[in-house]
Amino acid sequence: MSARYTMGIDIGSTASKCVILKDAPNDGREIVSKALIPFGAGTSGPARVIDQALADCGYRKEDMAYVLATGYGRNSIEVANFEMSELSCHACGAHFLFPGVRTVIDIGGQDVKVLRVGERGVLDTFVMNEKCAAGTGRFLEVMARVLEVKLEDLATMSAQSTQRVDISSTCTVFAESEVISQLAQNKNRCDIINGIHRSVAVRVSGLARRVGVVKDVVMTGGVAQNSGVLLALEKELQTEIKTSPLSQYVGALGAALLAFRKLGNLEA
Amino acid sequence: MTMSTIGELLDHFDVIASNPKAQLEKYVGEGKKAIGCFPYYVPEELVRAAGMVPFGIWGAEGTINAAKEYFAPFYCTIAQMGLELALNGKLNKLSGVIMPSMCDTLRPLTQNFRAAIPQVPFIFLAHPQNRRAPYGVEYTKSQYSNVKKNLESIAGKAISDNSLKEAIRVYNESRAARRKFVKLAGQHPESVSPVQRSAVLKSAYFMDKAEHTALLTQLNAQLEALPKSDWKGAKILISGILADSKNLLQILGDNHMAVVADDVAQQSRAFRLDVPEADDPMTALALQFAGQDYDVLLYDPELNKRPEYVVNLAKENGAQGVVILMMQFCDPEEMEYPSLKQALDKAGIPSVSIGFDQQMRDFGQARTQLQAFADVLNAKH
Repeated sequence: MSARYTMGIDIGSTASKCVILKDAPNDGREIVSKALIPFGAGTSGPARVIDQALADCGYRKEDMAYVLATGYGRNSIEVANFEMSELSCHACGAHFLFPGVRTVIDIGGQDVKVLRVGERGVLDTFVMNEKCAAGTGRFLEVMARVLEVKLEDLATMSAQSTQRVDISSTCTVFAESEVISQLAQNKNRCDIINGIHRSVAVRVSGLARRVGVVKDVVMTGGVAQNSGVLLALEKELQTEIKTSPLSQYVGALGAALLAFRKLGNLEA
Repeated sequence: MTMSTIGELLDHFDVIASNPKAQLEKYVGEGKKAIGCFPYYVPEELVRAAGMVPFGIWGAEGTINAAKEYFAPFYCTIAQMGLELALNGKLNKLSGVIMPSMCDTLRPLTQNFRAAIPQVPFIFLAHPQNRRAPYGVEYTKSQYSNVKKNLESIAGKAISDNSLKEAIRVYNESRAARRKFVKLAGQHPESVSPVQRSAVLKSAYFMDKAEHTALLTQLNAQLEALPKSDWKGAKILISGILADSKNLLQILGDNHMAVVADDVAQQSRAFRLDVPEADDPMTALALQFAGQDYDVLLYDPELNKRPEYVVNLAKENGAQGVVILMMQFCDPEEMEYPSLKQALDKAGIPSVSIGFDQQMRDFGQARTQLQAFADVLNAKH
């Protein structure tokens, strides 16, 4: 039997991600391509990320046996055979990378989600932030802009903090004015950034405790790339948190894995 | 009268539920007086007995502008939209309003309404906290008597015991028909979608109850005659204050979730209990309120009783999960949520809480949560 390929597309609010998988021995799956475009739903991001993922591995859309879309912009992907919520996809993707996972903390551009995952990566229960950007990737973007630093530099600068500065965890708008006030008092930016990370951690851990934190804890989503938030969260929850360089692709990976499951159902 | 099909009847209820303005104008055009009935537990029978039409006002979907002068943004939208409608002149065709004050949010609404809307006669209704004790029943009766007196003045005629007894009979019939419909809609989800189910129940607030019951009886008969359903989707119970957002309910339908029971203030909580038999119809109305139970809006010293009721309601109706439609900034619902969640968790019934209000325009987050919840339920069964 020739190899089968599936595509998972995760269209978030700030980035589009795509993963192409193929069959591997013993019912395994192998990533043959992945792409990320830093533009999300409603932009050119979705079309570009699909093109890039295909171009990188040299396959065509027609070669994909099943395409599954997820993320905020999942309803507008024409090539998709099916769409699923990113919660189910993150649970599945995180389980693929970390089979012992029981709790997933996914911090994306506009949402924070905490998932409890059962055996086999099946979503058990979850909690999501309400309509508020506090604690999300967007929150960090806003803060980076106010501080005139690059988003990717936040973690390094946070590590250089020497003094504790507290930033409110309730609201992005209020937190932004707090940061401006701290800057006006000539507080060190590294200390402020460290305070911002702690603020995110407090917010997210409150959410996590609602569903209960059970090991292994895995962090997914773009914010997982920020070691400052990761460390603050580990401290707040007093537990080790695992992550992967593929953290931003976990939703798309889960979608591609669930695509295989759908394919299996079709073939059954 | 020719028998309408299930689809035709459901469409008819939807037209009425979607356009209360047309319905109000129709009644006023027929020379009838309409009385606005705000949430919760208004003894509508008194309005009917006075020869007027009770008209339910549970806010409306829209944008709040004028009412912002009176309320902070973090305020229940039922209250805000109720005042907004009035400030925009949309309640001017009403001959009066009855406004209960059962929660801390409705209470200031009553006073703002009274001050801001002098053109609509205002009837204040304070239900007692201790509704069961004889003094509570007496208090309810005295409050209802005040409502009765005001209605008589608006109607220009006295409410006789016989007309009130007749109104109670019509309302008990309506409640029984609606309870039966809730059961049947849950048993035949392929024929009644969550959006249609809501339209049937919501339209009762804008229709003469005898007229509504006549149509609903037809619908119930046809649903009863359907073969047993082989529903493959998930079965859920919905809980909350309101569940009439077409956008939200559509998401339930899109994800093949059938509403098999509800614990919604605007739905089953409003027609769970009939008015008992009593010689004096005013006493009978007060006894009905005394008998009301299992509602976050009612004082109950037994904290676990209501959560247990919801758990049992879910079990009895075969609901696999509970969707809590959490009205934003509703203190009573939010205060109760932890104990309700705990009871559901203990019973092994998955639940999800979806925050919403009547100004909500983007349902992306709710769609994500409900779709994932459907996955959770389908994986468990």
